Amino acid sequence: GLAQEARRIRFSAVFSEQDIRAEMMRRFAEGIGPGFAYQGFYGGVLFKQGTELVALQRGNLEMSNIAPQDVSKQVPAWSALTSGYLFRDADHLTRMFASDVGTEMKTLAEDQLGIKILGPTFYGIRQLGLNTTKKIATPADLAGVKLRMPGGEAWQFLGTALGANPTPMAYAEVYTGLQTGAIDGQDNPLPNVDNMKFYEVMKQIVLSAHLVAFDLLTVSGKLWNDMTEDQRAAMQKAADDAIAFSTAEHNTREAELAKKFADMGLEVYAPDVDAFRSHVQKAYLDSSLAQDWPEGLIDRISAL
Amino acid sequence: MSLPKAAAWLRRRAENVVVLMLLAMFLVFLLQIVSRYVLNWPIGWTHEISVLLWIWLVLFGAAFVVPDTEEMRFDLIYGAVGARTRRIMALITGIVTVVALVTAMPATWDYVSFMRVESTAYLGIPFNWAYAIYVIFAVAMIVRHLWIGFRAIYGKAPKAYDPTKASSGV
Amino acid sequence: MNFFGPFAITVYGITALAMLGLPIGLSMIVASVGYLWMTGMDMGSAAEQFLNGMYSNYIILAVPLFVFAAEIMNSGSMTERLLRFCNVLVGHLRGGLAQVNVLQSLIFAGMSGSAIADAAGSGRMMQNMMTRDNRYTPSYAAALTAVTAVIGPILPPSIPLVVYALVSDASIGYLFMAGVVPGLLMTAMQMAQVGWDARRHNFPIEERVPLREIPRVTWAAFPTLLMPVILLGCIYSGVTTPTEAAALAAAYAVLVSVVIYRSLTWREGYNAVLISAKTSASIGMMIGGALVFNYVVTIENIPETLRALLQGWDLTPLQFLLLVNVILLVLGCVLEGTAVLLIIVPVFIPTAVALDIDLVHFGVVVVVNIMLGLVTPPYGLLLFIMTNISGSPMKDIIRDCLPFLGWMVLCLALITLFPDLVLWLPRLAGYAG
Ligand code: NA
Ligand code: NA
Repeated sequence: GLAQEARRIRFSAVFSEQDIRAEMMRRFAEGIGPGFAYQGFYGGVLFKQGTELVALQRGNLEMSNIAPQDVSKQVPAWSALTSGYLFRDADHLTRMFASDVGTEMKTLAEDQLGIKILGPTFYGIRQLGLNTTKKIATPADLAGVKLRMPGGEAWQFLGTALGANPTPMAYAEVYTGLQTGAIDGQDNPLPNVDNMKFYEVMKQIVLSAHLVAFDLLTVSGKLWNDMTEDQRAAMQKAADDAIAFSTAEHNTREAELAKKFADMGLEVYAPDVDAFRSHVQKAYLDSSLAQDWPEGLIDRISAL
Repeated sequence: MSLPKAAAWLRRRAENVVVLMLLAMFLVFLLQIVSRYVLNWPIGWTHEISVLLWIWLVLFGAAFVVPDTEEMRFDLIYGAVGARTRRIMALITGIVTVVALVTAMPATWDYVSFMRVESTAYLGIPFNWAYAIYVIFAVAMIVRHLWIGFRAIYGKAPKAYDPTKASSGV
Repeated sequence: MNFFGPFAITVYGITALAMLGLPIGLSMIVASVGYLWMTGMDMGSAAEQFLNGMYSNYIILAVPLFVFAAEIMNSGSMTERLLRFCNVLVGHLRGGLAQVNVLQSLIFAGMSGSAIADAAGSGRMMQNMMTRDNRYTPSYAAALTAVTAVIGPILPPSIPLVVYALVSDASIGYLFMAGVVPGLLMTAMQMAQVGWDARRHNFPIEERVPLREIPRVTWAAFPTLLMPVILLGCIYSGVTTPTEAAALAAAYAVLVSVVIYRSLTWREGYNAVLISAKTSASIGMMIGGALVFNYVVTIENIPETLRALLQGWDLTPLQFLLLVNVILLVLGCVLEGTAVLLIIVPVFIPTAVALDIDLVHFGVVVVVNIMLGLVTPPYGLLLFIMTNISGSPMKDIIRDCLPFLGWMVLCLALITLFPDLVLWLPRLAGYAG
């Protein structure tokens, strides 16, 4: 017959249209070539944060950038990939997803959820930002510090593991919270600190590097199964290229921002990261979360 | 007990339920403030309880407590016309509502039961249970509009609506 | 633009169902289900959007709690004592009772987030006081209560600003602050108009409250007067989030009414909770319906299309704001305020962002518009309430509202033209916009 009608791809994500990842998606949409009608919805306008996975599973969405925390809600083993101090940096994350253990983890999620994971989208390393002046060297220094963490038990656990007093608060209220002292600090990658102007109401940035933040560029099983082998290969290639671009951009940006904030007069320094790492890793392994983790997973990832 | 008496009794019990829901929501909030600012011991599950109570309060309240005459409506025309016209209007909206909600029911059920794959973050309540109230609400709306349509046919016009009773909180 | 496509049919459907008398929230759900059916989409999406939207919008919980706080204030004697205290302050001026009406609304505005709650709470008392011995015409008293009540949601706390924060993601804390100057400005204008009317019509002067009575009346009102201070203090010192402040407001109202004033019976308390629960359910249905319909609007890319269209016209930010004012003022005459906030306003937000209009400023402009809609015929909730309370014909009330409406439009024009009027206070508190 004649040219087939272009397949509609509705993509929904919480990042804004100005985000580096929106540029990543523009490149992706170009890379997949004709045959697709890409429609991007940014800023969580179509599906609220955390509800995209179910939308993919039910075929109400073709693509999304979902948090690994959302995968772990249905595939408990995945909570291992959301634990603190697992990945050292973006490169380690990329290598992990390209390795055998990465393939195993992807397959585990894809088979159970009926989705296709194209790759991890790195968006920065979570660092502590505090509105207090007390120097932070070890987890003990965070005792009693009201640290805003995203809602949900897994996030709150990470806050406790760091030695702080985790406090859930809406992202939009964090600026005011820091300013009024309702919270003493927040943990976000530096690009978020810049976007939300948190630096205006913070006094120091502790480069704890406690979590390499990433999402998963994901396709619904329905769309993936309907595609030809060629189309799949082209889409995977487009995703790999776009993700590589975005990861490099984020790395550059993080370095720039650390310098920018220091120039603005904020204290920017690294604590005793080893002390934090051993404290946090021990807390995870002692917790009930680790019961769901595949045997030896953490060691295999660390060895990469 | 006669039928109207039983209905009134049920209505009062439903009112008791929403009163308890709102009070519980209020108390959970106070607990949250006290634990965070007085005891410096933030708790997360209060968020979850209060949001769940809010969803149940809205849907349960809309289904069983708030009468038609107190819902937010646009009554420029509705208020101006006579009883006969109002009967026709009620019949039309009743039919449309019943058709739409009945047609959507299988998909609604499918979605709500699908949600058993996820649970709330703190209390671990499966979402199919947390969200079940929507199905109850939809069924109640179908029944209510069947009744409104039935009454419209058999000669009773719905009451004129009193805008001073309804409030959208503005 | 396809006038017979699924989206257009959905819009006609909502309009028709609402005109035929179906509740607004349900109209949106029913018509949106129709859209999902026409486009072959998952009809379970209506439930999905309703439930997930309600589940993730935590800030909206402030609404039932603010409603509850206002109900308690009106059930106990807080409102009444406030009136007596205001009488001490301004009763002896020419047109004293009329000034009491203005002042009482100003203070009430600092505790309550709803204009309806003010009119319903103080309306009957004020009406009786003002019309006793034919001191004021019933229509003037009713008009004054209606126009002064609109200050309620402009000054913090404010339910409409919470709803706006929901659709715009702007910070509630700063939105609340941004309302202060416009609210005070409007009150000043109302006092000036009352002063002018008082001289022109030779309004009565209230008997001066004997000096020895003043401490007692003040003391009796003191816990009530403390409420705005506690409420705003808690929000801006960071002790509570604005959502939690709503619970605190309710707790304080219960404390004062039950422990200090001992004026709240079990039955009154129960009824206050029940009315709040019913109101919350009504508002919640509108919000839920709007969440479902907004899904349709987003799928259809309406806000982006509108943004592209308006940017094609090369509007300046000011022209855009004026256009929005005109549209909202017209819609306010025929539509209910929360519906406008939930359905119409979100469509304008991407354009406002693209034009670099501050979303806090935009929010206050929008809410002042919504408030004007409460006193503009044919559909104005405050007009309905005051017609009901005063028993005077609505056209007389509208006539007496007109000079005040003129001032409100002037105030709206000022805050539209000079964003600094709105943003000055939030900036003082550190707002970066
Ligand atoms: Na008043
Ligand atoms: Na207020």
